[in-house]
Amino acid sequence: MPWCIFPADKGQHMIRISDFTFQYDSGRTPALQNINMTIADGDFVGIIGNSGAGKSTLTYAMNGVIPGFYRGDYYGSVEVNGMDTVETRPEIIASHVGSVFQDIDAQMVASVVEDEILFGLENFGIPHDEIEGRVTEALAACGIEDLRMRHIDTLSGGQRQKVAVASIVALRPRMIVLDEPTGELDPQSSEQIFALLSDINRVYGTTIVIVEQKIALLCAYARKLAVLDHGHLAFFGPVREVLANGRAMESLGIHVPRIVSLHQALSERGWYQGTAPVNMDEAERMAREAMQ
Amino acid sequence: MIRFDHVSFGYGEGSTVHDLCFSLEKGGITALIGANGAGKSTVSKLMRGLLHPTSGTVYFHDQDMATLQASTLAARMGFLFQNPDRQICRSTVRDELLFSLQWTVPDASLHEAACQEVMDALSLSAQDDPMMLSRGERQRVALATALVHKPELLILDEPTTGLDYRECTRIMEYVSRLEKQGTRVVMVCHDMEVVLDYADEILVLSGGHLLGQGSTEEVFQDPSLLRAASLLPPQMIGLAARLGLSGIRTVEEMTEAIGKRKAGVQ
Amino acid sequence: MKSLLVYIPGDTVIHRLNPCTKILLPLLLCIACFLTDAWWFLLGVLVLDIGIGFLAGIPGHTLKLLRGLGKLALFLLVMQVLFIQSGRVLATLPLGILITDHGLQVAVMGVLRLIDITLPLALMIAVTQMSDLANALVYHAHMPYKYAFAITSAIRFIPVFTGDMQMIMEAQTARGVAFDTKSFWKKLRLMIPLCVPLLISSVKKIESAAIAVELRGFSLRTRRSAYRRTSFDGRDLTAILAGLVLIALSVVF
Repeated sequence: MPWCIFPADKGQHMIRISDFTFQYDSGRTPALQNINMTIADGDFVGIIGNSGAGKSTLTYAMNGVIPGFYRGDYYGSVEVNGMDTVETRPEIIASHVGSVFQDIDAQMVASVVEDEILFGLENFGIPHDEIEGRVTEALAACGIEDLRMRHIDTLSGGQRQKVAVASIVALRPRMIVLDEPTGELDPQSSEQIFALLSDINRVYGTTIVIVEQKIALLCAYARKLAVLDHGHLAFFGPVREVLANGRAMESLGIHVPRIVSLHQALSERGWYQGTAPVNMDEAERMAREAMQ
Repeated sequence: MIRFDHVSFGYGEGSTVHDLCFSLEKGGITALIGANGAGKSTVSKLMRGLLHPTSGTVYFHDQDMATLQASTLAARMGFLFQNPDRQICRSTVRDELLFSLQWTVPDASLHEAACQEVMDALSLSAQDDPMMLSRGERQRVALATALVHKPELLILDEPTTGLDYRECTRIMEYVSRLEKQGTRVVMVCHDMEVVLDYADEILVLSGGHLLGQGSTEEVFQDPSLLRAASLLPPQMIGLAARLGLSGIRTVEEMTEAIGKRKAGVQ
Repeated sequence: MKSLLVYIPGDTVIHRLNPCTKILLPLLLCIACFLTDAWWFLLGVLVLDIGIGFLAGIPGHTLKLLRGLGKLALFLLVMQVLFIQSGRVLATLPLGILITDHGLQVAVMGVLRLIDITLPLALMIAVTQMSDLANALVYHAHMPYKYAFAITSAIRFIPVFTGDMQMIMEAQTARGVAFDTKSFWKKLRLMIPLCVPLLISSVKKIESAAIAVELRGFSLRTRRSAYRRTSFDGRDLTAILAGLVLIALSVVF
């Protein structure tokens, strides 16, 4: 049984954005300017930047919301799994790319968890005898089997966020795009969502693109980091390489995790030569080494 | 200044607080921390008198809050919500501030000066339309409405959620300046680094119970307390604990401590 | 705040009826109540409504609904008795207000009709899952999914907007706006600025909701998409026949 409706061609880029500039009809300046980036199939990319830097717009370009739903001046091209987003209908792109939006209450369509997950499966015409398996699998992947018959109104913020992810996972997209999914969650629930996405990425090879303010979590879970500044792509690359530009990022008003600031201080003094740590275990190793 | 005496509150399952007893003295910034559903927002609303305890009493300056008039409470306290869009309802920043003042400061001759002062302090311009401003600027407008009447107690419910680091620092720097000028501040906060940087005192909540109250150092040095509330300490304090160091809060202090160890080893 | 218009999960004869039947039955009862002129018939329908509530395993909820409606009914009863002054005088109140047999009759009939019509509709919401209703309307009644989805979404968004409104009120109270004023006009004037934030947040919400469902394949859906199929069986037929019999009876009496 294939994992997705349209498997990616081997070695193909999931996302290829070339010279992309976009200005909303309502905007006075371009929301994004001259963006060039490619995301490989199976990657885990975090997007950070100050408010108004164009983070949401970048996700809209990847899931077909632009140009499908927002009008504006569009230059350059965006390809999703080989399809040009201008030439392809949004619902076709949607069968490759699942989206989890910022406002989770607006996204929910049903009053019971099971129905929420069925909604997309029914719409995309998943064969009847396959649906039960998909629902069970999505619930299990998100660790919420016990919530299946619960009323969505009675769930906590973290549980609701998991339901939203499960309803997308059930569709088996090649890629999932999330816009600040942990905005209103406490540290522990936020970490759970990241762990869940990381599992989905590892087990199914699903490409993950996530916009997030909590940079410490992004560093710990993402493989690549994209830093946006006033509509420009300031940095894009493997997490550790981007973090090596810590000082430059701080001058853009983006704070790096404190363990990364510590790495800078230790490197500048010549006490440590390794790359920046992305979690507490690595930070401890770095500090112990620097003490020698 | 504020005293909770065996306060319980319940509305439906999951969002209750049980038998809270604590008091907040004059001066300082107190942070309420805990997981989602721990009761932080409920406590902050009880403190402002937006909710009334189902049992027990909340005292403000040794007076039962229930006996104080709504207008008195409004004049002496300020409350900032997480989402500024719930309170912004006028078409210019100035009107927005005047709308607040009409309820809290009876003497209209003071209004103009009060508006100007707070707009200057928060770099807002009078004729801007709040709806056209960015998320961070709207949060500053909302903060201005909570402050314009110079309250003695300022309560912030997740003031920095949804803001980027630059806006977050800007708001917190201003709040901490106010505190130095004598405003008592209580804030609900999820970001432990912000709590570490700005709070003097911490109340730890879990499942509607008060797990602990203490200075920022005391609480963050107590791993078992944090674990019970499903929280992690700020990175530098967590790292210091792993390395067996103490008294470290900042990156600079950590660098220095590592330097000393290094010198000691050689 | 717990709303009275909520779905209460269950697995009774009533719950298992086809959602189309569940929405058709209150409509049939409604027609019957308007056609009849016999008070005992209306009383009979009321007993039937309560019986259905008990059969659906939600007696508590039924009585709560009845109590809520009762308050409104009592108010209307008094108003009508006081306003209708024609007919045989039964008693005279101060200020020359008469209580007449005609007034009493019209008032009792009106109030009974009101309860008879509203109670089954409220019970329908309590025993029907909204997505099942949408699917059944599409499959059996051939309603375009767009409309069925609009109906169920409207019902789903009511508590969301009520919650938003409550939080806006709270935010305004926090800055000193005194909603507890006695004067109705003053209160109304205070409510107007509140509508601005509510309107803005609602429009934003609906816009993102529309994009979100579109990206989950909304426009690809067909009549046969629904996973849980609902069927018409003997029970549904019996229920609808019973409704039709009631209409026939109501014409006779």
